[in-house]
Amino acid sequence: MSSNLEQLSIERKHVQSSAQPGLFLYAWLRLARVPTAYAALWIIALMIALALISWSSIPITPYTYDETSHAILNAPSWSHPMGTDELGRDLLTRIIYGSRMSMSIGFVTALVAFVIGTVYGSIAGFYGGKIDSLLMRGIDIAYSLPDLLVMILIGILVGRGTLGILVALGLVSWMGTARLVRAQLLQLKNEEFIEAARAQGQGTLELVRKHLLPNAIGPIIVALTFTIPSAILSESTLSFIGLGLSSPECSWGTLASDGWRSLRTHWHLIACPSFFIFLTVLSFNFLGDGLRDALDPRTRITR
Amino acid sequence: MFNLIVKRALWAIPVLWIVATLTFLLARIVPGGPFDAEKNLPPEVVSNIKAKYYLDKPVTEQYWRYMKRLVQGDLGVSYKYVNRTVNDILQDAFPVSLQLGSLALLIAIGLGVPLGTIAAVRRGTAVDQTAMLLSTLGISVPGFVAGAALILIFGLWLRVAPVALWESARHMLLPALTLALSPAAFLARLTRASVLEVLEKDWVRTARSKGLSPCQVLVKHVLRNALVPIATVLGPLTAILITGSFVVEFVYAIPGMGRFFITAVINRDYDLILGTTLIFAALLILANTAVDIVYTYLDPQIQLKD
Repeated sequence: MSSNLEQLSIERKHVQSSAQPGLFLYAWLRLARVPTAYAALWIIALMIALALISWSSIPITPYTYDETSHAILNAPSWSHPMGTDELGRDLLTRIIYGSRMSMSIGFVTALVAFVIGTVYGSIAGFYGGKIDSLLMRGIDIAYSLPDLLVMILIGILVGRGTLGILVALGLVSWMGTARLVRAQLLQLKNEEFIEAARAQGQGTLELVRKHLLPNAIGPIIVALTFTIPSAILSESTLSFIGLGLSSPECSWGTLASDGWRSLRTHWHLIACPSFFIFLTVLSFNFLGDGLRDALDPRTRITR
Repeated sequence: MFNLIVKRALWAIPVLWIVATLTFLLARIVPGGPFDAEKNLPPEVVSNIKAKYYLDKPVTEQYWRYMKRLVQGDLGVSYKYVNRTVNDILQDAFPVSLQLGSLALLIAIGLGVPLGTIAAVRRGTAVDQTAMLLSTLGISVPGFVAGAALILIFGLWLRVAPVALWESARHMLLPALTLALSPAAFLARLTRASVLEVLEKDWVRTARSKGLSPCQVLVKHVLRNALVPIATVLGPLTAILITGSFVVEFVYAIPGMGRFFITAVINRDYDLILGTTLIFAALLILANTAVDIVYTYLDPQIQLKD
């Protein structure tokens, strides 16, 4: 019996070690065939490159005022491809700098959601029973507090600025991931290979980390891909309320909401940064759709 | 069903109590108070004001005072809108948000569900791709940017709708569209996924082979089942839409609940924060209960428990 289980477990491990890269390779191949997802990947790569460029030196900084001419609130032109703002700063340069903040906010929020959501969801799903229902009621209550209330108060509590925004966004974004991880674990934990691993004497942590989570990773990745765009959108909403980064720091969200003030007279100020938000969020959404189809075992069989 | 309603109503009491307590604590832990923005007030005046609202008492005493009044249905007073009670403010602001939110909800369902259904039925065709492109565009725009675009195009360039204020039915047009945009897109995506899943079921094939017309199959068999996951999200969505959106109300200068809520949070107008949060939580519970009742009509297999 025990050798039987061991055999099963070894087989499973074997399958796992070859199936994991296989799954991702397969997913990648499928993803590359979906034109929208493929284009989305390139756009996201471009935006990340833009964010990285902002650390190297560009001739004009986003804080430079153009004092040479009357460069305030210029419409787009050759010297300022996206025009200038009310202080005569070049909008394109500010957007490039803003990409650093916006992209970091998206990725860091997804990371926070992943860590909190996975730990919380794993505990609920693995132990089940009373612990599970208690933790799930906790999520229900977290959902019934309005997101903006939590974000604003946490933001103020941690301190206005980048850290406050990151903590605030992270703390309202983990519930979906937690529910997902829990549902996956509830389903997986009764599978035979888990029983086998358990019979081998593997500890709880090992069981969750080595066997349960790797098998649930597909849907988790998809969920996190959708967390990034919603974090970028939430940040722009926070900026619009006036609780975003404080100037002269900037993100796409703060730039777009600054542009709101001159909507009637200089609408390029809101249109240009909004276009970057829109393009990035759209790309992440298309990538998420593509990943979901690519990682879904059901569509895998039918091709 | 009666049992369900009674049980949910009883369950709502501890939930609302926890929400009230959490919000109370959260609002008071955060540094700053309601009178910080008043400049150059002599300390004596500040302490008098605080004494008037019992804000000089220990937090536990404030908490008990608030809870005692809350049980009687009194949501307290606003510190910023002088001489107005929270009940009074909400009585003015909630109907506005309710009207706007209901209209937006109707638009979102009316656009999203048919769009998603058509996309699923015509899966893989240009119709499907266009519908999905549109709906993904719809969830990728920040609310204030959508509002700005609608104001520019319809309000300022084409001049077909007023761009602000809350006076006539025409004034509701642009704000309702702005508010409906992202839920409509979200519902379209959800409907498509849900209908696709149901279309693969064996009993759909049976219904077809029985000789029912495609239209009958779609309406009677597919849609009815596909609506279950949609009903699930409609609960929270309704609560979110009818309690008002700060962004839309700010952009179009509408005196709704969303604006009062955000300004209350920023001003630490404690009672007003709690009042709006409690209304939201109560509506959320109400909407979710309604959804559970709708479930039994959509799918008789679902038994109502607790």
